[in-house]
Amino acid sequence: MKLVCLGLNHETAPVEVRERFALSDVALDRETETLMTAAEVEEGVVLSTCNRTEYYAVVNGESGIEELEDWICKQRDYHGSREGVFYHYQAREAAEHLCRVASGMNSMVLGETEIFGQVKKAYKRSLEGGATKLVLNKLFQRAFGVGKKVRTHTAIQEGATSVAGASVELAEKVFGCLQGSSVLVIGAGDMSRKTARALQSRGASSVIVTNRSYDKAVDLAEEIGGRAVHFESWEEELAHLDVVIAATGAPHFVVKPQHVEAVRRKRKFRPLIMVDIAVPRDIDPEVGEIEEVYLYDIDTLQELAGQARKRREEQLLLCEDIIREEIDKVTLPAVND
Amino acid sequence: MDMGIGWVVIATLLAAAGGFFGALAARSDKPSRTAFFGMVLAFGAQLMALGWRGGLRGQCPLGDIGEICLFLAWSLTFFYLVTGTTYRLSLLGVFTTPLVVLLQLISLIPGSFETKVVRADTVDTWREAHAALSVLSYGALALAAVAGVMFFILNYRLKAHKFGGGLVHGMPSISRLVRAMARIALVGWVVLTMGILAGLLMKQETFSIHLMVASMTWALYAMLLGVYFVRGMPGRQLAIGLTVLFILSLLVFAKL
Repeated sequence: MKLVCLGLNHETAPVEVRERFALSDVALDRETETLMTAAEVEEGVVLSTCNRTEYYAVVNGESGIEELEDWICKQRDYHGSREGVFYHYQAREAAEHLCRVASGMNSMVLGETEIFGQVKKAYKRSLEGGATKLVLNKLFQRAFGVGKKVRTHTAIQEGATSVAGASVELAEKVFGCLQGSSVLVIGAGDMSRKTARALQSRGASSVIVTNRSYDKAVDLAEEIGGRAVHFESWEEELAHLDVVIAATGAPHFVVKPQHVEAVRRKRKFRPLIMVDIAVPRDIDPEVGEIEEVYLYDIDTLQELAGQARKRREEQLLLCEDIIREEIDKVTLPAVND
Repeated sequence: MDMGIGWVVIATLLAAAGGFFGALAARSDKPSRTAFFGMVLAFGAQLMALGWRGGLRGQCPLGDIGEICLFLAWSLTFFYLVTGTTYRLSLLGVFTTPLVVLLQLISLIPGSFETKVVRADTVDTWREAHAALSVLSYGALALAAVAGVMFFILNYRLKAHKFGGGLVHGMPSISRLVRAMARIALVGWVVLTMGILAGLLMKQETFSIHLMVASMTWALYAMLLGVYFVRGMPGRQLAIGLTVLFILSLLVFAKL
């Protein structure tokens, strides 16, 4: 018996190949069932996310992994080039790979946590379908333990690695908790959407959207559960806001010092975060000179995100040590031989 | 070495160790309760030292510069321990310990503690209450100034886009610091009010300049807090006000 892992991900396969192998929840159940009927497969777990599809299997015989690859391509009716598209791991390497995946070390955004839940869900599905036995049960339990240990013992998930995430991190440094805070989004593009969503995910309750084209503001407001205001009247909202996100295509400054000066007393000089993710900039840098205003532009946010990515990369060696240590404790012939 | 002085030395070492290891942990971006536990132990040692001086005097130990500094350090530690658990202001301990250590070091300078203490025959309760409450209020006002210093550092780093290091990462948010500054100062001001009221009730042979300075300090804090709570004020101005007022009043009282 041998543990094998066969898969493809964002690093090995372009999206047109990945989407061919991606499986919906219903298709996943079917795939696991069919996998178990494939020759020489004793146990199996199929993991499918937007960035990866992986098959973990315990197989009999020497040529197990090639057979498995043929079988998967046949299932997906894939006749394209396989060179460099698939990766395979066997025994200990497969176990270590699973731990890396569960820990977010193999993800597009290093250290992201969503993958942990996705691996758990894939395992549960196979467990309930009777597709796992001694080897995969032990191995996945170990991988979940490793995932938790990596997250608690290293800084792999610390710091925001995106512009939207960095904005949220800075807002939290000023306000602490974003619960109940009010946000104004100037501009209805993709970056505005992402940043507003990121703030909402941390508790921002009131989102106001404004745009030169009012219809676009209404569309975005509906999408994120906010309120649209006409571009001519956004200044009136400033007195009640905590965060302003500016991302318009305007060739000149949209927010000027006099806009903030006019409402300072009314705001009782409360802190105000201003995030300018537009190029050319939307917010006059002089706004940042006002005492209670914290102004950040795209360069600062990108630098912050870059620093966080670098810090996460520096944690990889530490994570590898944890994985090696934990896999050393596994005493299964399918993993060790 | 006198046992009482020994307790002051122990309190100083504990506070210094707590602050030092707390700062090291902050630098390496690791959460640490070292400063808090250092201050808890220092608080115990301060109580022992104050108990020793109080026993010698037969009244509240506020008769010499050593006792005043020790009492102030104890009061600062007390408010830090209360605030630390109420507001959970991380790193407040790291910023408070240097002031506690400094005050205790002053009290350890030879001559700070009177060696020949005359035991009091009678005790004027109002005078005792006035002295104790006034020094206690200064503990809270000192802590508000410490929170103000923390605000300056965090505010500067956030405005200048200097995010590196564990210091910024470990500090509480700007809003929380502003709230803490104002509330701690308010507590200090309320205790100072009680201290001044007690001062008005104590037996006074002559016009007390001491009481007048205390009343002026009280009025300035009242103005600052009034403006903050009623009209509003940028956090930086509040921090400047609290820090300057504390240093000024301390200097004036030292001169007196």
